[in-house]
Amino acid sequence: MIRKTFTIILVLLSCLLFSNVAMAIFEDDEACLMCHKYPNMARITDDGARRSYYVMPEIFTNTVHRNVPCRDCHNYINELPHKPVDTGVTCNTECHSIKNPATGKPFSHKIIYDAYSASVHGRKKIETSIENDKPYCITCHTNPLYNPNEEGPPKHVIDRCVLCHEDKKFAEQWYKHTSRRIKEVKRSSIEIVALCSSCHGDKKLIDRHVKRAKADNRELGKKFPVAVESYEHSFHGKLTQYGFTKTANCLDCHAEKENYYKSVHEILPSRHKDSPVSKENRVATCKRCHVYADENYASLDPHPTSYRDDNIFRYYAEKIYNMIGNIAIAALVGLSIFETIGRRRDGVAWRLIHGTTWRRKSKRGRDRIE
Amino acid sequence: MQLSKHARDVLETSMQQNKIDDAEKKEIEELISVLPQDRVVIYKNVVSNPIGDIYRYNIHIRIQHMLTFVTFLTLAFTGLPIYFFEAFWAEPFNSLMGGVNVSRVIHRTIAAVMIFSMLYHILTITLGSVARIKLGIFDIRRTIIPLFKDIRDFKDDILYFAGRLNERPEMDKFNYKQKIHYFAAAFGNLVMIISGSSFLFPAFWASILPESMASHFQELMRLSHPHEALLALLVIAFWHWYNVHLAPGRFPMQWTFLTGKITREHQIEEHFLEYLRNLVEDPEEREHLLDMMESRELLTEIGDEANPKSGDS
Repeated sequence: MIRKTFTIILVLLSCLLFSNVAMAIFEDDEACLMCHKYPNMARITDDGARRSYYVMPEIFTNTVHRNVPCRDCHNYINELPHKPVDTGVTCNTECHSIKNPATGKPFSHKIIYDAYSASVHGRKKIETSIENDKPYCITCHTNPLYNPNEEGPPKHVIDRCVLCHEDKKFAEQWYKHTSRRIKEVKRSSIEIVALCSSCHGDKKLIDRHVKRAKADNRELGKKFPVAVESYEHSFHGKLTQYGFTKTANCLDCHAEKENYYKSVHEILPSRHKDSPVSKENRVATCKRCHVYADENYASLDPHPTSYRDDNIFRYYAEKIYNMIGNIAIAALVGLSIFETIGRRRDGVAWRLIHGTTWRRKSKRGRDRIE
Repeated sequence: MQLSKHARDVLETSMQQNKIDDAEKKEIEELISVLPQDRVVIYKNVVSNPIGDIYRYNIHIRIQHMLTFVTFLTLAFTGLPIYFFEAFWAEPFNSLMGGVNVSRVIHRTIAAVMIFSMLYHILTITLGSVARIKLGIFDIRRTIIPLFKDIRDFKDDILYFAGRLNERPEMDKFNYKQKIHYFAAAFGNLVMIISGSSFLFPAFWASILPESMASHFQELMRLSHPHEALLALLVIAFWHWYNVHLAPGRFPMQWTFLTGKITREHQIEEHFLEYLRNLVEDPEEREHLLDMMESRELLTEIGDEANPKSGDS
């Protein structure tokens, strides 16, 4: 009996200690961590993938969503333990707990979400058709850390802030919020290309869409099937892969330059008249970097390939080049071998020694007189 | 030796251009007449200095070759890793140059040096030709300009290599191989300059071409630059280096690009017509040849050119 009581006390003490640690970092008012604090909180999906539902409070507390209570996004949870989730989070939900300091209204990503929804990438959260291949918010955006390279706000900054703002916690939060946004948080060119390539470079996905477009008698962009491959082999693509930041990445041409953070969510098909790479806008887009660009310049193919369907001129030009090159090399190597055999037959040696290279016996019967 | 009609014409033109007096003319004619009829016997029995006996290229040509040599290889080693960026060797080559940031600057700078070298060469050969014309010593057969005779020489050389002819054709200062090589390099240089400039100044090229051609032109240039570079590198590696380094009789290398001189046996074998001019222009060479032939008892009696005194095995 004593042993059982001791065990219960030990377990309760452990739980108290554990929950206190979590509470110290992240205010779990909704008691979600009661279950989600366990690392093995996971399930195996129908397609065999392991989905983890483990929340690490010490990490979550340093993310940009740290002040958003779980149910502001997971608003379909009404009871504990909750039922299996089949809808998931949509990013246009209004937060009940966070107010937009500028307007006083509940905060939401609605502006960006609406822009995204109207773009070529727009889709619903739950899609069962081929539309499911399109990216949803979380395909590109995770829940990022404020300043992953900083353990915490610099002491000398906070020491200065609290001289007026007094509340250290407020100063730290404000520092995290502003410092992250003041720093360049735009993805690097390499990251942007990698992100776009994760879908546009997926051959199976692209094939699916090409087939579906064909079946629906729907037009697709000419470069759609070869977008990533052709970009990688272009000037822009090569230089980007070598780490150049001044070379055009996908978004530099396919998104508007103005209001970048919004425009990257508004990408339109290249054939849409409002797309920066449409015939109507191409010159202006090229001029962003190539100041002397004109109509002729804008007619150059920035994604060249030698596929027959894509560029028939280049297809045949490359074939002719390869043929000429192969014939030339074969002819010259052949001539060299032929010459070697012919002159060796006449008695030439490889090296000039003692004033001559004609030291060998000739099959033609005219040898050097020694 | 009885000269062929073409060789006789070359000899007489040279004597005329060099204003050779009668006494010297007689001496040259006598030397020619006592030489063995078989050119093979001559070049097999002369003594040659490996670093060269007979002056062939002036200092300008040697500097231009050196500039071409250095710029070509540097351009290839900085350019090809950028084009073949996925190849396993691309990254090490780029890193060796300090990364693409550095190698692209090197590439463009060296390209400017290559263009300078080309202009320097054009200036040299143009002024040289003008000077020769003014002095009355210009002979088109002595230049790199292709002539119909080169086609015959090519055919005869192939027949010789195949064992169908007994000796190589009488070729001039620049034989068919050198002319092919020279004009291939000149054409290649031009292609590389135009295509390279279309990468550097795409807007300029697009603006001077009709819209319907601008894209095709750029596509062609995008293909031409790497293809021409690769072809040139392979031609240099397989043919030029074969001819000047690996071919029997030229191994381990011809020193002409440094000393400006060619070996006597090479000159007689592959540039016999030029050697006749050497005999006209250089009395010492006549003496050397006479001594060499005499020491091997290969001189013929005058009027008995077909049968040397002895030694023709």
